[in-house]
Amino acid sequence: MITVGMDLGTQRVKAVVLKDDAVISRGQAFSGFDPAKAAEEAVKEALKDADLKISDVVYFVATGSAMDMAPYSNGTVSTMGADAKAGIYLFPKARTIIDVGAEEARAVKCDEKAVMVDFIVNERCAAGAGTFIEAMARALEVKLEEMGPLSLKAEHASSINASCVIFGESDVVSLIHRQESKPEIARAVFDAMADRISSMVNRLGINPDVVLIGGVAKDVGFVASLKRKLGVDVLIPDFPDYAGALGAALTAATRAKEGKK
Amino acid sequence: MKSEKIEKKYTPEIPTKEIEELRNSIKTASQKIMAENIERMKKTDPNRPEAMKYFDEIANLFGKRPAEILAEKEKGKKVIGYMCLFAPTELILAADAIPVRVNSGWYDASKVGDRVVPVEVCPVIRSTIGAEMIGLSPFLELSDALISVLTCDGMTKLSEILSDYKTIWGMNIPRVKDSAHSLRFWNDEIKLMKAQIEEFTGNKITRKSLKEAIEQTQKATKAFRRLQDLRKGPPVIMGRDAMLVNQAYLWDDKVRWTEKTEALCDELEKRVQRKDWVCSPETPRVLITGTPMFWPDNWKVPTLVEEANPKGIIVADELCSGERILNDPVGVDEWTMDDMLNAIGERYLMSSTCPCFTSSDGNEDRINWLINKVKEWNVQGVIYFVVRGCMLYGMEYNRIKKALDKINIPAYYLDTEYTREDVGQMKTRVEAFLEMLTARTEI
Repeated sequence: MITVGMDLGTQRVKAVVLKDDAVISRGQAFSGFDPAKAAEEAVKEALKDADLKISDVVYFVATGSAMDMAPYSNGTVSTMGADAKAGIYLFPKARTIIDVGAEEARAVKCDEKAVMVDFIVNERCAAGAGTFIEAMARALEVKLEEMGPLSLKAEHASSINASCVIFGESDVVSLIHRQESKPEIARAVFDAMADRISSMVNRLGINPDVVLIGGVAKDVGFVASLKRKLGVDVLIPDFPDYAGALGAALTAATRAKEGKK
Repeated sequence: MKSEKIEKKYTPEIPTKEIEELRNSIKTASQKIMAENIERMKKTDPNRPEAMKYFDEIANLFGKRPAEILAEKEKGKKVIGYMCLFAPTELILAADAIPVRVNSGWYDASKVGDRVVPVEVCPVIRSTIGAEMIGLSPFLELSDALISVLTCDGMTKLSEILSDYKTIWGMNIPRVKDSAHSLRFWNDEIKLMKAQIEEFTGNKITRKSLKEAIEQTQKATKAFRRLQDLRKGPPVIMGRDAMLVNQAYLWDDKVRWTEKTEALCDELEKRVQRKDWVCSPETPRVLITGTPMFWPDNWKVPTLVEEANPKGIIVADELCSGERILNDPVGVDEWTMDDMLNAIGERYLMSSTCPCFTSSDGNEDRINWLINKVKEWNVQGVIYFVVRGCMLYGMEYNRIKKALDKINIPAYYLDTEYTREDVGQMKTRVEAFLEMLTARTEI
């Protein structure tokens, strides 16, 4: 049985193709001004990779901020629901799933039976999410993907305020004026984000194991900071940016089995 | 209608033309929003109770009700507005004056208030200031004087700022209520307010008129509680409809409101007998608590809950714009003036679960109230709603959350601004919460 999950995120749309509960291909596209079209592209790319056609798919489920715009969709699942599904599929002992995307950071808590019992979302500000790193990379005149490795070279920790992207940027500028080195500033950026996210997760309460998913999980600098701040080990799957789409594909499989159309 | 004589100590002078433009544009938008809200409520329940027609009409804040009040004023009646539920409306009624609550639920008016206070201030306060500055709110405009009860910081300073426009009577409320001297102090405030209202209206509050006012309010309370009790069982009325009925009490004629609410309850009781439910009895049952939600703009959370996928139904709330309005009756032993005044004082102070109170065990009354509601109304999940800048509700969340955890009831903290733009983000959260409740019931 083939099912497809689509995650219509603020920056990219991701698609995952599932065959009998195993991932067989992935696809993605920039959301841009037309998330529906981007979703179409992502799905086509993923299906092409698996040598399948749209008509081979039994069930489509969409998630992500633009889920209501999704093409082919047989239904939707909330981003938190998709996070929980994917996190537990990837790591069966996972009970806290943290998802850091471009514009939003959230955490989902599950009970001992792996049922979602609570969740929390960052407070309407991108300072705890991926775009923050982008803005700070711009201020430091380094490429986004260089930020992580750069931060690992830092010899000490300095700090900036991450209550707001704009204030954060002006804090970075003051660090530049204080002639702090780029690695130190890069680390300060990740520390500030990790601070916000870890206090959010602590408000929710941590049930081990902790899993980190979302595009930002690919950033080694952020991961190092988050592990330091949380003080617990953080598991990261391969393709963490596809976890939302995976959760949607798993939901699609469950619903197809239950015969929900 | 604004007095030119008062020297403005707090607010800037705005050119008359700008005031008119702002007022007209917000009023036009607001009329559309009120109509849209009601249309959506009708769509959610295509078989809406007949009796709701009356409340749809009275919900028009620029419609029939302000016109009626104006007509009464022209015959010499005074209108006394108030911001917090602690204002003793029985005294206003006994002096043959009209009580109306005047907190602003207009999102756009908060932007006008931003000219006076920082954006970090609670938007209910900013919006009420803004509404006064441009003469937007008919009920605020019709008020001859305002009773301001000094509850939260926002309300305290709001009354100062509104003194640029209106006669304000502050009522000093104790923050710790469970002590004999707090109650004595508050009862003295009630007695001072009685004298103030008598002097202002020129009408003496007599033993007879006060008894009548108390008895009328008791009747309204009975109807009010009857409606909430009907929400205990399988869903027979959508939450938004009940919330609108509850809130309409704040500006409607009290006798007529009581009759119309009783009529609604009669209709609902027939539906209960026929098992004519408003939605599937499996629908997750939600309670809303937190910052008050004023009609017409701040209707977005109830709308999201009841139009979500999967949808929920609001079966109860613990809001001062909702079920706190008339939850408790005044209990009088002897109908002497002194006893009646003390009974009024006790009802307004002791029954309140407002987070402006604390005690040796925090705001335990609120926790008890919530737990009782959850149990008796079979609530499955609690949405804890806070507008940005509302400190007291924000700060009380963790205590409430822990208390609800103990009885295995999930709570979700939903924060927002006084804007329409964040509905998308809030929808994601509300739907995730309802998904969670649905999954829990399926296990």
